[in-house]
Amino acid sequence: MTPTSFSAPSPVSRRVRAYFAPVERATQTLASFEPATMSAFHPDAPPAPWIDLGWIENFTRRSGSKSAAVLTGIPAAALETTRHTLEAQITFEFLSWTKLTMALATGSQHMNVLAVSDSVGTTAFPAVSVQDGSTASVIRLRPEDLDNFVPGSMIAVDADYEGQTGYVGTPVSGAYVRRPLADPDYVRRVTFNVGLVLGISSGSLILAQPLPGGAPGAGTKVQAITGFSDREGGSFCQEWSALFVMEGSQGERIFFHYPRVQAMAEAEETTVPLDSKHRTGLARILLKGQFLALPVTDPIDHERVLCYRSFKPAAYSLI
Amino acid sequence: MQNAKDSFYLALRSRLAVVNPERTVLLRGTLRPGIILEEAEASFAQPPADAFILRWLGLGADLQTPSTMVAMECEFCYCTSGTQAFGGLDRGRSLSRMDRELLAMLQPLSTPKFNYSVQPAAQLQTKVFWDEPVFSPITTQRDRLSRTVRAMVYSYEEQSER
Repeated sequence: MTPTSFSAPSPVSRRVRAYFAPVERATQTLASFEPATMSAFHPDAPPAPWIDLGWIENFTRRSGSKSAAVLTGIPAAALETTRHTLEAQITFEFLSWTKLTMALATGSQHMNVLAVSDSVGTTAFPAVSVQDGSTASVIRLRPEDLDNFVPGSMIAVDADYEGQTGYVGTPVSGAYVRRPLADPDYVRRVTFNVGLVLGISSGSLILAQPLPGGAPGAGTKVQAITGFSDREGGSFCQEWSALFVMEGSQGERIFFHYPRVQAMAEAEETTVPLDSKHRTGLARILLKGQFLALPVTDPIDHERVLCYRSFKPAAYSLI
Repeated sequence: MQNAKDSFYLALRSRLAVVNPERTVLLRGTLRPGIILEEAEASFAQPPADAFILRWLGLGADLQTPSTMVAMECEFCYCTSGTQAFGGLDRGRSLSRMDRELLAMLQPLSTPKFNYSVQPAAQLQTKVFWDEPVFSPITTQRDRLSRTVRAMVYSYEEQSER
């Protein structure tokens, strides 16, 4: 049978899915998204280094770029327009609270709360060394170190702080150290390399999900954490690459790729009543993300750009 | 729009056979997945228990778009009196199970559109898609619990369908 085409109306979409990837700050390496891979992009298994942050709500993108007319002649009339400022913002709300969504919505330094061994909360449980043979999902420890962890424990996995300055944390720069600090646990306080212990078996911690940083390297230590903390203020600004995907009812896809974004507002939450008829009752607390797009140079034609919009039409739709 | 209605019903029927193969109904001597298209069967005095009845209600069309978009409202009705083994005391659980099965049947919220009036059925270019279902409160009538659920089903009219 000969296929027929159809005139596709505007895409109909239910929601937007967000993917973020860290920008390597020391080298300014960005996560790339090649529009040629749009068809192969699997929403549930995005290619590395993109991290799936799930569905988001109230996604809006706003361009603040300004153009001005070049006037010539008497009386003056517009000859052409020129673009004299570039600006783009995005806002949305995350539907879950995780290390990553909380950190993204904060924009500044985001810290892991180390588990403590005293009631005052000043002495953290000591970090223990990761043994050879560990993977991103299985952390091997010495038998005597396993007592510090139980199924359900949360852990931070990173190196000791040894007085260095500059960006610290694996695989995402979690902070910028301007002057040497005295805290040997500092890198694990700010690292994004965190995980949930699902079980303990054969001298290893079995994690619920692979560590974002992959298999721990030599000299890496594990420390129990109990939650996360952030603060208003500070000078560190995180930087990420962002990708937003809308899937249309007919299989079409819209991609918004922002190679560089930084948070443009401090931590903020939005509350949404679970029952619209009972507005003072239970409410869902959503993390609000507000980002400013930063420019990159397009390697093809060396133009400065803030974001890319790509569209994959539905199969057999007229273009 | 007949293709969209047929595709929607048959997609749900196939999905129900996977979600709960034991939910079946004997109709005109044939054992089938327990979802009945009301307008395609002889009328019954009382809807059968422990099966889903699919009924088509409202209709709308958006003629402004390049391909006409048709919106059809459908209603699922289902009821249960529980099982004999538990003397009907499990009717609440039975209804919850049907609620869950309906939600599972409706996921994902789209299906390819087919023309079932030809043999074999021919796949068309567009998909039928629908919104999240809206559940009504439970109705109790003696020992029978029932519920209705509504959903809007959308499709585009293709050139080959005109």
